[in-house]
Amino acid sequence: MNALAVDGLTKTYPSFTLDHMSFTLGRGRIMGLIGKNGAGKSTTIKSILHLVSPDSGHVEVLGMDMADQEAACKQAMGVVLGGAGFYQHKKLSAITAVTSRFYRNWDRAAYERYLREFELDPGKQVRELSTGMQVKYQLALALSHQAELLILDEPTSGLDPVSRDELLELFRALAAGGERSILFSTHITSDLDRCADDITYIKDGRVLASGEKGAFLDAFQHLRTDDEPGPLRLEDIMVRTERGRFHV
Amino acid sequence: MFDLLYKELRLAAHPSLYVFMLMGALLLVPAYPYGFVFFFGTLGIFQTFCFGRETGDVCYTALLPVRKRDVVKGKCLLAVFAQLGQLALSIPFALLRTALLSDGNPAGIEANAAYYGFGLAIYGLFNLVFFAQFYRTAYKSGAAFLAALFPTAFGIALMETLVHLPGLAWLDGTSAEALVRQLPVLAAGAAIYLGGTLWAYATGVRRFEQVNL
Repeated sequence: MNALAVDGLTKTYPSFTLDHMSFTLGRGRIMGLIGKNGAGKSTTIKSILHLVSPDSGHVEVLGMDMADQEAACKQAMGVVLGGAGFYQHKKLSAITAVTSRFYRNWDRAAYERYLREFELDPGKQVRELSTGMQVKYQLALALSHQAELLILDEPTSGLDPVSRDELLELFRALAAGGERSILFSTHITSDLDRCADDITYIKDGRVLASGEKGAFLDAFQHLRTDDEPGPLRLEDIMVRTERGRFHV
Repeated sequence: MFDLLYKELRLAAHPSLYVFMLMGALLLVPAYPYGFVFFFGTLGIFQTFCFGRETGDVCYTALLPVRKRDVVKGKCLLAVFAQLGQLALSIPFALLRTALLSDGNPAGIEANAAYYGFGLAIYGLFNLVFFAQFYRTAYKSGAAFLAALFPTAFGIALMETLVHLPGLAWLDGTSAEALVRQLPVLAAGAAIYLGGTLWAYATGVRRFEQVNL
């Protein structure tokens, strides 16, 4: 059973189409969703989460159909949307008191442990936290209800190098047990070099390639020129695939 | 359902919602158009929806382990809580007014059973228009409020006008006989409130399912 299976997800906007997105994420694996700005990463994630209403296609979370069992699927998911700080004027303790009521498997001890590890003060208001700390708070909430699938939209954007390093290490530790799976979108390809098992590359609303990281990198080595000594890294692949020319 | 309402009250409700719930105290003003109490009730709902847009409330709720339609349910529950709560809190003031100021209200309708019937009907129509309009986009609260003001203002104006018509003077009474005669108005108001709010929920859900957050 996959942690996540996306099949033929399609959403048409006046100026953009998410076109038959399909990929799967195995259990205990970390998948990076890459693509340049506007490629459709966030739309894909929002369609998976039912925040956006897709025109067609379907999503399975841990074998459950998202359309039919939305609440059960969300019980098993933890979500972090980068840059989305909710209730800026509320204290963390107030948001946690509400959030925890909705989860059957809420683990208060785990929550308090994550607060300590992330150095979060529950008496602070959300607006008093830096971007990185807001991401950490969302992560603490997501991790405290025993989510088996973590979906993270640009979680490392706006983080300093130390926080990013800590977060990527945390992702690896979380997936190491084989129970938790992580899908995270980013345009910071070095994050994926260090932490991802699988890569799904989105270009202009379509899946250009999706698979295990090693095989993914091999499939793009034809872009390498003869005078280059080593294999291409993710960033090289993305730049060569996407780069346009300005005609000014 | 209780968790949804708890979330609305703890995180989503604008502080003014609670202030407007206490506006039933205006029934102690000797001469005042009491229809304004209902108008203040709609303001609290409107403020809360504006507040929700600033706080990311819709997105937060949609990410909780609930169905997308439960986002609408939470807001309907909050509206019902605020509106019925406001009317319930106003009843002691209405009783006190009738006991202390028996000369009647020269500015408009008395605080009697017909008044509460009209109030329920006005809130039912407000909910129907406001929720149906708001959940077309889930962010245009101003446009939804303006649209919902029409039935609200019409209902208030109708209520305050009818009591001045000689043949309908019984609508303005507070005697036991007048109150009994007003009970069908109260029942009709309750039916319009129930029907309007359920319809508002159904329409809101249908439209919100198509909204892209």
